[in-house]
Amino acid sequence: MAGDAPFAGVFPPGAAAGPFGRRQRRPRGARVPVILVTGFLGAGKTTLVKALLESEEGRNTAVVVNEFGEVGIDQALLAPAAEGKVALLGNGCLCCAVRSDLEETFRTLFTDRTRGAVPPFERVVLELSGADDPMPVLQTFLGERSLAREYHVQAVVALADAATGRMALRENPEARRQVAIADRIVLSKADLASAEEVAALAAEIRALNPAAPLQEARHGQVAPGFLLADSELPAPSALQADAPGHAAGLGSFVLRFDRPLPWRGLTAALGLLCEVRGPDLLRVKGLVAVEGCQGPVVVHAVRHLLHRPVELEAWPAPADRASRLVFITSGGLTREPVEALFGAVAALSPP
Amino acid sequence: MNIARADAKPAAIWNFRLIGHHELNGFGGMGEGLSVQMAKDGRRILWAAHESAPKNFTAIDVTNPRDPKVVVQTDLPQRHMRSNSLETCGDLMAVAYQTKQPGQQPAGFEMFDISRPEEPRSIGFFDASGPWSRGVHQLWFADGEYVHLAAGARDFQPHDQKDDQFYRIVDVRNPSRPEEVGRWWMPGQRVGDNAPKIVRHPAHMDTGFRAHNTNVYPQRPDRCYLGYLDGGMFILDISDKSLPRVVSNWDNSPPYHGFTHTILPLFGRDLLVVTDESVVDDAADWPKLVWILDGRDERNPVPIATCPMPPVAEFKGRGGRFGAHNLHENVPVPGCWQSENIILATFFNGGLRAFDITDPYQPREVAHFVPEAPRGSPVGSIQINDVFVDDRGIVYCVDRMIGGLYILEMDF
Repeated sequence: MAGDAPFAGVFPPGAAAGPFGRRQRRPRGARVPVILVTGFLGAGKTTLVKALLESEEGRNTAVVVNEFGEVGIDQALLAPAAEGKVALLGNGCLCCAVRSDLEETFRTLFTDRTRGAVPPFERVVLELSGADDPMPVLQTFLGERSLAREYHVQAVVALADAATGRMALRENPEARRQVAIADRIVLSKADLASAEEVAALAAEIRALNPAAPLQEARHGQVAPGFLLADSELPAPSALQADAPGHAAGLGSFVLRFDRPLPWRGLTAALGLLCEVRGPDLLRVKGLVAVEGCQGPVVVHAVRHLLHRPVELEAWPAPADRASRLVFITSGGLTREPVEALFGAVAALSPP
Repeated sequence: MNIARADAKPAAIWNFRLIGHHELNGFGGMGEGLSVQMAKDGRRILWAAHESAPKNFTAIDVTNPRDPKVVVQTDLPQRHMRSNSLETCGDLMAVAYQTKQPGQQPAGFEMFDISRPEEPRSIGFFDASGPWSRGVHQLWFADGEYVHLAAGARDFQPHDQKDDQFYRIVDVRNPSRPEEVGRWWMPGQRVGDNAPKIVRHPAHMDTGFRAHNTNVYPQRPDRCYLGYLDGGMFILDISDKSLPRVVSNWDNSPPYHGFTHTILPLFGRDLLVVTDESVVDDAADWPKLVWILDGRDERNPVPIATCPMPPVAEFKGRGGRFGAHNLHENVPVPGCWQSENIILATFFNGGLRAFDITDPYQPREVAHFVPEAPRGSPVGSIQINDVFVDDRGIVYCVDRMIGGLYILEMDF
């Protein structure tokens, strides 16, 4: 990957650039942030999004509602949006519905924004329907040939309904996956459930996703900053316990490397892992010290798709430059074989 | 003039943060001279040339960019003058004076001692007036010793009046007695220069073969990167200042519409960034672009890309001009931001735009700022004219008509 930039060998990259292009202040670079909101039918996604749009921080937000295959109940709340039409919501916000092609909708939004045909939105909130599998959606945003040049998934937010959430998690693998891959989790309708029920749901969520910040919604809403903040990786110092293999085989663990990694070795290990266990790599995200790079390199993969790496200008905590890779897996894929694979590849790689 | 209402389009801002705006006491029509002085008392003073009379230049204390304060604002002695361009170097400032008509005075450039920014003190004047001269349009002053300028001269009679300004080098080591040490003009520009007359552009796009930007950098003190409007760009060998020689000429016009304006060499990257200036309202001279040139062999610069522009159809009807103009030029003075990966350029009603040219074959827009039409704008739109970035990464850009100074942070 490094060194295959089309200008390599013709023009020096410039002081502000490394092997992966210009070093960025933040993972999204100059791209439009996308906040993915998932959660089961009736979990309160639309109420949450609507509250965000009405807040000061949420101004200039474009909402894309995925209604594919679902009765358009949410339309009534988020203003009617006919196929291909964009509805203006005030506060600089707009809304449109996807009924067939997500990629096409996002492309149109971007070009319309450039043309000035829609208000100059600053972010997109993509509300998935309860039954949507978020994995292919995430993949759409990773591919250079699809949306990765214009958009960056800033956070995956999962909603869990305190009243029915436990049942959904028990009965529906989709719900479990939504919670497992989330960067942030909102517990909705806590006022409709007993304290014990809420605590039990929180415990089940933690078993699936031990690290993601969790917040209870009040009257269907949370502080806008909770939804809009950039995702953070777990602090490198906190030795995070592996999430135990759940009944469905979902789990998560963190690999740490104290020494900078050679990019070829890292991609060889990740590549092999993708080939062998790709379907079980729900998400791999990390900050990696790569040999020859000044800043950390953001790595993001979903199943077999590895996003083009982004080098940041600086480490979040300059004192700790250890690489860490968070794995969220299914199929009972645990730390040990992955760690062993990385070790074996490192042993094979020439120094 | 087409007077439109100022409520046509909302502001658009992406990956910039607007942190300050100053209407400059109602005289917010600014030219293409922006320069930051690191004053001895620790203040940062932004010096800005006005686009037209009655004001000459304004100094703004931008030490706190969120609270800019006008330090001094001066008047031109004559209504027929415009200053348009200035540069500071330490506590010295050179200000260009151009007149409306050839033969008018004063025309030339003035040297100021700005060690006390509140009281700029005139210490020298270089006369560039003459029967065919409108004086100085643009100057470059970065080494404290020589001013490189686009100027006419008393002894310079062009074949065409539009070709009155050429490249001159003036020694200001004694700023009270500026002395010309060299000059160059395009062969065929001057009556009696023994070269065949320049073949002019078609009448509707004949804007003149004359000098504009005259950039000289310490990385190559023996080179001048010269924009020559309808003559395209020239790289001149000025190792002998008394006898500049052409290294190369790249000219995109015709079929383009001339007015090659600025050449920014990126020495660390073997690239050149070249702008054309849009000079006709309603994008009638579209496309005016920011070009990326392969500069590996200075004898043969090769265009490899242009920076992407927003759709002309959306902007041409907004009022005033739409198209490229000035760049942040990596001026080699303390207090100036240096960048070879990010290019900032001004586009009149297209606002200010930043491009990532790390892959020079595929420049990408990473930020833009299109303010609303300023109060009282005669063209009903913003006309962002010039840009300067200080070493803190604070971006200053100005409106050509009335809007004054906009101060931004880069957020990309």
